[in-house]
Amino acid sequence: MTGGNKVMLDIPVNETVTLADLTHDPYPIYKQMRAQTPVVRVAQTNRIFVTTAEHTKWIKENPEIFSSDDPMTPMKPAFQAHTLMRKDGAEHRAERMAMQPSFSPKVIRSDWAELYEKIAKEYVSLLPRGETVDLFSELCGPVAARILAHMLGLEDATDEEMQRWSQRLIDGAGNFGRDPKLFEASDAANAEMNALFEKIIPRHQSEPNNSAFSVMLRAKNPIPLSQMYANIKIAIGGGINEPRDALATIVYGLLTNPDQLEEVKRQEAWMDAFEEGIRWVAPIQVSGRRTTQEIQIGDVVVPKAETVMTIQASANRDEAIFDDGESFNVFREKHPHQSFGSGPHHCAGAQIARRTLGHIMLPLLFDRFPNMQLPNPEDVVWSGFGFRGPLNLPIYLD
Amino acid sequence: MVSITFIQPDGAAQTVQATVGDSVMQTALNNNIEGIFAECGGAMMCATCHCYIDDEWAEKTGDKSDGEDDMLDCAETEVTDASRLTCQIKVTDALDGMVVRLPSELA
Ligand code: FES
Repeated sequence: MTGGNKVMLDIPVNETVTLADLTHDPYPIYKQMRAQTPVVRVAQTNRIFVTTAEHTKWIKENPEIFSSDDPMTPMKPAFQAHTLMRKDGAEHRAERMAMQPSFSPKVIRSDWAELYEKIAKEYVSLLPRGETVDLFSELCGPVAARILAHMLGLEDATDEEMQRWSQRLIDGAGNFGRDPKLFEASDAANAEMNALFEKIIPRHQSEPNNSAFSVMLRAKNPIPLSQMYANIKIAIGGGINEPRDALATIVYGLLTNPDQLEEVKRQEAWMDAFEEGIRWVAPIQVSGRRTTQEIQIGDVVVPKAETVMTIQASANRDEAIFDDGESFNVFREKHPHQSFGSGPHHCAGAQIARRTLGHIMLPLLFDRFPNMQLPNPEDVVWSGFGFRGPLNLPIYLD
Repeated sequence: MVSITFIQPDGAAQTVQATVGDSVMQTALNNNIEGIFAECGGAMMCATCHCYIDDEWAEKTGDKSDGEDDMLDCAETEVTDASRLTCQIKVTDALDGMVVRLPSELA
């Protein structure tokens, strides 16, 4: 067949899918892409979507070919910094490792586990009984904000501030349409955060602890202060919505599958419930990389300097790995999911998330409210392309 | 081929054939060795490929990578002088017969 090869190697284009479709419900779209066009240019976003588990993992594990440094993302204006999320190699490692000790299992055990348990108990005990409560806004968000404030050394910030800053950073970082209003909002958040950071530096110097800010400030070879600020902002942007959405997703999954919930309680399989929840709906669904050279992905050749979107949300339901990946099933055959990514940017908060949600929050919540119910699952609104989760979770607590 | 024996904390041993040039982590994954998760895929960013290499083999595995100790500090399991990240050990002919011990999970 003349030119057969060439035809096969062109990147197929999807002209129909819109960002609104993806935000509403991306999963049927990804399913179709995996089956028909696993590497495809989505015309309306002008980005190449990569949807199979094999490819998304490979891309993230090959940072020389697929760089995180993508000048096209709105992340820089949103964070007012070139952050470690968008760096590669030694520079990325130095900035990440500056903060990592405070998220290490050792420090989680010595400092955060007990504190988190105390905070979780306190927030759960504040919930009323005998009425319907939006667990998403009343529990999932605030409790994530509080523990993160401690871990970062920002106890002075309120839950409301932490959540607002997080949301504005995320909105700014996802502002692909470059709407000036969103950058104004993230600028305002940056100003508030900078003011707080400046105010608390003396305290961290005189009374150091294991929080990220303290650890960075007293490092033997400290990174520049501007990068400490950027690191903390990345942790705020990435450390509230993700555990919040994960918790809401897992609770939804369990309450809509009562048989599984019973079995989870019986086996105390909270960790499995945690892993399945974040597999089923990954809080961070998509990660962008930029090609540093022309490269073949599957059957197509992608030119240099293209943005490829690795869709871990899709990889997590890939038929090649998961049987019936579309459904929530705590007791499915175990396979690694990609919700924490892979490669150099593997989620720095993975162990914390497992501990705080799987070991502490889930058992505690279901112990306090063993008969809680989600009377109308259809009222739960799911949303998001880059980040995804329920927007509400009306639960009857008795 | 080079043979490597993985020993679980309960003493169960599994000897596998490794390919020169692969990492010990990759070898473990290829053979479904329990206890090696390698979540970051060998980028030295997760410490879920942690294991112990006894003294007699330590020399032959070569030096630790730059930054390996810092990452080992973030391991979930107990770190000792014998601790290594298996993604940072390349299989060579000199490692034929090496024993790799897996850490036990901390509560
Ligand atoms: S595989 Fe992650 S550190 Fe070795």
